[in-house]
Amino acid sequence: MKLLKPSWVNHNGKPIFSVDIHPEGSKFATGGQGEDSGKVVIWNMAPVLREEDEKNENIPKMLCQMDNHLACVNCVRWSNNGIYLASGGDDKLVMVWKRAAYIGPSTVFGSSSKLANVEQWRCVTILRNHTGDVMDVAWSPHDVWLASCSVDNTIVIWNARKFPEIVTLLKGHTGLVKGLTWDPVGKYIASQADDRSLKVWRTMDWQLETNITKPFNECGGTTHVLRLSWSPDGQYLVSAHAMNNSGPTAQIIERDGWRTNMDFVGHRKAVTVVKFNPKIFKKKQKNGSSQKPSCPYCCCAVGSKDRSVSVWLTSLKLSHGTLNGLGILVCSMDGTVAFLDFSQDELGDPLNEDEKNSIHQNIYGKSLAITTEAQLSTTIIENPEMLKYQQEKGPVEHHNAADHETQAPKLTSVVNGESLEDIRKNLLKKQVETRTADGRRRITPLCIAQLDTGVNPLGTGAAPAVNSNNIKPNLLLTSAAKIEPMKALDSRFTERSKATPGVTISSSAVGLTMLDRMKDGGPLKDPKPKEETSSDSEDKMAVTKLSFTKRKGEVEGPEVVEKKKKGRPRKDTKMTPVSHAKETSRVAAPSASSVFVEVENEVSTVGGVRFSQLRCTREGREWDTLLTSRILTVAGSSEVIAVACEDRTLSVLSACGRRLLPAILLPAPVSALHCSGSFVMVLTACATLSVWDVKKQVILVRNVSLLTILSGTDTTVSQSLLTQQGVPVISLSNGRSYCFNSSLETWNLIADKQDSLVQCADFRNFLPSQDPMVSSGPLAIMQGRTLNAGRLASRLSSTPHHLQQGMTLAYLENQLASALILRSSQEYRHWLLIYARFLVNEGAEHRLRELCKDLLGPVHKSAGSIWEDTVLGLRKRDLLREVLPVIGQNLRFQRVFTEYQDQLELLRNK
Amino acid sequence: MAKVQVLNVAVLDNPSHFGNPFQFEITFECMEDLPEDLEWKIIYVGSAESEEYDQTLDSVLVGPVPAGRHMFVFQADAPDTHLIPETDAVGVTVVLITCTYRGQEFIRIGYYVNNEYTDPELRENPPLKPDYSQLQRNILASNPRVTRFHINWEGCTEKMEDSENVDPAPNAVVAPPCPAGKAPILGFLPENSMDCL
Repeated sequence: MKLLKPSWVNHNGKPIFSVDIHPEGSKFATGGQGEDSGKVVIWNMAPVLREEDEKNENIPKMLCQMDNHLACVNCVRWSNNGIYLASGGDDKLVMVWKRAAYIGPSTVFGSSSKLANVEQWRCVTILRNHTGDVMDVAWSPHDVWLASCSVDNTIVIWNARKFPEIVTLLKGHTGLVKGLTWDPVGKYIASQADDRSLKVWRTMDWQLETNITKPFNECGGTTHVLRLSWSPDGQYLVSAHAMNNSGPTAQIIERDGWRTNMDFVGHRKAVTVVKFNPKIFKKKQKNGSSQKPSCPYCCCAVGSKDRSVSVWLTSLKLSHGTLNGLGILVCSMDGTVAFLDFSQDELGDPLNEDEKNSIHQNIYGKSLAITTEAQLSTTIIENPEMLKYQQEKGPVEHHNAADHETQAPKLTSVVNGESLEDIRKNLLKKQVETRTADGRRRITPLCIAQLDTGVNPLGTGAAPAVNSNNIKPNLLLTSAAKIEPMKALDSRFTERSKATPGVTISSSAVGLTMLDRMKDGGPLKDPKPKEETSSDSEDKMAVTKLSFTKRKGEVEGPEVVEKKKKGRPRKDTKMTPVSHAKETSRVAAPSASSVFVEVENEVSTVGGVRFSQLRCTREGREWDTLLTSRILTVAGSSEVIAVACEDRTLSVLSACGRRLLPAILLPAPVSALHCSGSFVMVLTACATLSVWDVKKQVILVRNVSLLTILSGTDTTVSQSLLTQQGVPVISLSNGRSYCFNSSLETWNLIADKQDSLVQCADFRNFLPSQDPMVSSGPLAIMQGRTLNAGRLASRLSSTPHHLQQGMTLAYLENQLASALILRSSQEYRHWLLIYARFLVNEGAEHRLRELCKDLLGPVHKSAGSIWEDTVLGLRKRDLLREVLPVIGQNLRFQRVFTEYQDQLELLRNK
Repeated sequence: MAKVQVLNVAVLDNPSHFGNPFQFEITFECMEDLPEDLEWKIIYVGSAESEEYDQTLDSVLVGPVPAGRHMFVFQADAPDTHLIPETDAVGVTVVLITCTYRGQEFIRIGYYVNNEYTDPELRENPPLKPDYSQLQRNILASNPRVTRFHINWEGCTEKMEDSENVDPAPNAVVAPPCPAGKAPILGFLPENSMDCL
């Protein structure tokens, strides 16, 4: 063994807290204190290994230094593929570095050392979540995850393929967490903390596998770090700072049963660091010797507060520690780094990766826990159906990978062919300088290079579509605000129904309350259709069929307004209610028919008796009927027409004008009237709501007061509607919408425009690519700007991922529940699929299983089962069949997939 | 970590006549798009004795700053000679370039400045009252002193102002109070919720 202390590896005398050799062995990184910040330095390994390289001035020693950490760097770790370097520091941050394929060397501006950075390493991600110093970071096998631990007692598992996404937070330590190590096969991660415990967590469900405290009971005092290490064969986990009979030890924990029977003894003070050589060794075969092939073994170095390092071999039985390792770098608080160089004679032959993998496979088999995309190629797909979905997914993934490659963080010069020198010559003249409103100079800097921040191409790809959707509603909104109030809403129902054959079709009519228009005193006429089109482009078809009839007998506007103020919505006759019905025959040949309803109040007849006349035209056939009181409002569907009169009566007529019921006396003047199918909804001026099914002659909602939802004094009803399924929905001026559930007799909040969940939830990635956004269901109508959902999500990029994940989950579950209570089956299906995609993507297995379980129901019927096989008229098992391919996209869930697929199959064959 | 890294400052037109404007070509890199402008200042230290004589030669806003590498030239007029103590006019002083974001200074770059007469005669026997017309300013460009400060880059809680999030409801017809004073009247209203496509 040779020991070397390269004096040039230093942080100007400041302590170095971490050192890590690049997997290729060509360079190493140190982390520690800088001048007034944390410091990460990447060094060339060659001058350490060879004296002649050290003396050769043309061979750089320092490759790059990064002063970006705000405070001391505690840990630097290379990813297994060597592409990234992660650093964690007292500034609570974890930074991930990547080498930039950028032009020439640069210096750190203003730094005392004039050494140029030979390599350009730039921070590609800053991971913010810890609330205290980050003590250790560790990359999982295959760089799927990055774990970091902190004095905030938590461990954060980051998704290394989608920084800064957080996979999970491991909570359970009650003291500062000071060391992390991954099981080399990826099944576990172990952590050691000041709470005198070592915890092993499963990566399958991120739950605690075991909590080891016994060897640490005696431990007193604290150490700066507690860096434990897992042997590369996965068999042993060696802790830092344990005690055995009052002596400091490094505890050996066997994977098999987590037994703690052995330890490394000999250090006089607490063990702070344990590090296994990542290689597995086997005895060197000496020529001529007839040694039987020996067991592979590992090599481990143990560092202690007693300022010494010991190196051990785990060969056979751990008898005596000997010095070993092909090369070990040791750093110290004194700011120096030492290199221990071992020969292969001392250490044995390192096994190559394949041999190492085969050892892993022999011992552990294929681990499911590490089957993320990274290992798709090596994971056995157990289910042929699964294979299909994986193959479908394949090309897309590949494409993304390619994208990633081209998007490798680098600076791309954008200075159109002009050399930097030319630009600099004229910069002062060329740069754009303006004055701000308050007279200040403002310079627009010249962008000389763009920075690729490595945004997930999936995210950006989805964005434009959403954005374009966002812009339109916005325009519509502003125009809608300016134009006259229109009630083109209900036509959506019919529009939608066209797309869903098989569902009973209803059409609706609208009672227009155009007060503003009345104020103008002008007659109602043609501009209207135009406005309607502008506010609802989708319904153009329908709108063009609308026709308006001028009402006869103008009423002066002011009078009406005044009356309204008195709280008597005595809206005089108006033209109106336009209803157009669309029928979808079973033959699936939609034939649209328009219905025009014309109201004429005060038709004078003989003897001075006044009547009101209702004239209805449907498919060229006309009927009319007379009512004794002035008609206030009319509403209709394909099945019924409802007429509310000034005398508080409500008349319900069939589509052909036949009276279905004697006039119903309402408790108060009508304020809004809706029809949908055979449902009639009345909102009275006393803020009560009733819904009847006039065909079945049952009451669904009995004079329910709106006081519950009209809590604020300023709140008014801004919109009301009745869904095709007869669910009444009320929108308030405070942006909230409620529906009334007749079976629970509760008001349920289904939309809140101020809901921050809507703004923060980010589910864009889970939107189906081909299905159009369900935008005409009652839920979408009431929520309006759901399309904006997730708009803020991108702005909140610094939001900890787990928070956003939680918000998205909550939002999606809200949507699902709302669609359910609105009995809007298509919307329910839509959100169910998004929800499933989200669960699959986020790996939320428990929820996913619960969902699948409910959709599947009991396989064997039992009398006590209360499971319903349909939801909103959709067969649950059909839904499950739609969800399964989604589950099939994530190989981690292949067991879930297979389980439910088999059961579905079983049920089908029954 | 600082979102803005100053990569280089090139001192242009140096050495130069005392009365000429200062010119610094500043190259910086920004990690992510900055929602607000950076404010750069050039401060001339009139006297080593007291900050009282510091002159802010100019301040500029620089923006918008998207993620990337940027450069600009910051030019500012020479200091007002009336504000410089006569005894300090000739000799070594300091010029500072500072940058603030959301009102917080995160970097301060200082240069030594040597003001001296070019004429050997004057150098030998400097006049009692400094003759600025004969002074040459030489900025020690090779030796910048850089101090970085940790600031809160996120600033105050970002307001979620977004035109699209403005509720359109306010144009609702306000329902008059009900005569009974109990049951609110239902105001009817523009059904402008067709904001979904």
